[in-house]
Amino acid sequence: MYYPYFLTYMALGLGITLIVFSWALRKGQFNDQQRARYLPLHPAPDPPPPKPSRFIRLEVLVLFVMAGLGLAASAAVILFALVHGN
Amino acid sequence: MTTNATSAPPTYMTAKGFTLTAGFWMTVATFMGLLGATELIAPDLTENIGWVVFGRVRPIHVNLVLFGFVTPGLLAAAFYYLPRILRTELFSEMLGVVTVVLWNLVLIGVVVTLAAGYTQGREYAEMIWPVDMGVVLIFSLVLINFLMTVVRRKEPMLYVSVWYACAGIVLTATTFSLGNVIWRPDTGALVGIPDAILLWFYGHNVFGLLLTPLAAGVAYYVIPRACKTPLYSHTLSLLGFWSLIVVYTHIGTHHLLQVPVPTWLKVISIVDSVAMVIPVMAFLINIWYTAKGRLGEIHNDIGAKFVFTGTIMYFFVSIQGSIMALPQVQRITHFNNWVVAHAHVGVLGFAGMISLGGLYYILPRITNKPLFSRFLADFQYWMILIGVVGFTVVLTIAGLIQGNAWYNGETIYRVLPEIHMYYITRASIGLLVFSSAVLGLYNIIRTLYFNPGEKLS
Repeated sequence: MYYPYFLTYMALGLGITLIVFSWALRKGQFNDQQRARYLPLHPAPDPPPPKPSRFIRLEVLVLFVMAGLGLAASAAVILFALVHGN
Repeated sequence: MTTNATSAPPTYMTAKGFTLTAGFWMTVATFMGLLGATELIAPDLTENIGWVVFGRVRPIHVNLVLFGFVTPGLLAAAFYYLPRILRTELFSEMLGVVTVVLWNLVLIGVVVTLAAGYTQGREYAEMIWPVDMGVVLIFSLVLINFLMTVVRRKEPMLYVSVWYACAGIVLTATTFSLGNVIWRPDTGALVGIPDAILLWFYGHNVFGLLLTPLAAGVAYYVIPRACKTPLYSHTLSLLGFWSLIVVYTHIGTHHLLQVPVPTWLKVISIVDSVAMVIPVMAFLINIWYTAKGRLGEIHNDIGAKFVFTGTIMYFFVSIQGSIMALPQVQRITHFNNWVVAHAHVGVLGFAGMISLGGLYYILPRITNKPLFSRFLADFQYWMILIGVVGFTVVLTIAGLIQGNAWYNGETIYRVLPEIHMYYITRASIGLLVFSSAVLGLYNIIRTLYFNPGEKLS
């Protein structure tokens, strides 16, 4: 009972891979690779982004202060540990 | 449910649901990481509070990052791009919404059971059997939606992102079921070394065969679109895909090189780990050549900026992974914080970055409004980038100290004071990443529900 489990695992992976690969081969999935390059561009590429949302100045300030406090706390912890370490 | 001339515009309810799921659970997951890192500095911090001791917090952090943050983020993007590439509609938005609800219930189950001490005690496979079955169910539902969308496609050719998205779900459903030994509900485990072998096939592949394919799929969609240029080579992308599928399923045993497993299995895992250079470089060369000369476009799109940065992190983590599989290297790097650094580059730096990139790329498109705040998204980008680089530097140094000390026979209690400083720094960086998650969640909620921006034409 030492090998069956991981051999099953590897065989299952390989089996699924071979089945799907042969299906893809039969269905001509590898035929027109030049056209496939353009598939993500359909429909047409996105237009240029519009103006950003109206952003309330106070909101920016509050969030910036919050994030700044987080950064400052991180820096303070490191400084404290450097000065008072050991 | 296929497209026709009179069909209503898509609602993107599934993509929105997974977006919100990823944003919310990222905050919980990173908080758990911060809590765990703090407990490593101050072990008595949560003394006598059983449900938040380190042994329970750590698996909650890992499982939430994997199934709560990164995977739902990548799935949100996949649920957006699959119908577009296949030129059809999603098979069932209703099924997608049900999947999102069940997904969140499973995540609540993960937190509650692990915090309550119900665990199978196997690394990355800690969840108990009922939760395991929940995970199998939600992946099966995603698989049905993906495959049925593929079946009903109008575009005969399958673009490489479709291959990656479907393979990620199929292989994870297989890997998860086998790796969690779901046919043994009482233990969820085999016995002895065979269990370790099976567990590490799972432990490696649950990241490698879930996050890597889903992230690659997002990158192959977002980068050409952001750059407004075709993919450099679809043939190369398929070479990368098929070699990844063949090679990646075999490499889990490189976690067990110091364990008495069969030598041939170790050799396979080492050879294939090194061979991972092939799919990795095929992917990176393709993405980077697609973006060549168009970095301005990538910089203009915050989603593409996250994704492109994730591909750079993929380079580092993959090369590092191949080298770490060599026994001579692993003698120093295994069983210490070096591996934790590697995991953070991979899951946060590579897959996490691309997951966030996918979210920020699709958000304006699924809401038909601009992102609530590009500033906040940019700020989050820099916080996470600093966080990933910080984690990498600090934990790698700590790992090398530990590895060298233990290699030379030093006892653990003498090493711990030497790395204390690095643990403090790691926790402070964790605070940074948690703060960034809160900002991200706020941005996502405002973009989805309280967005004052003008509707796109």
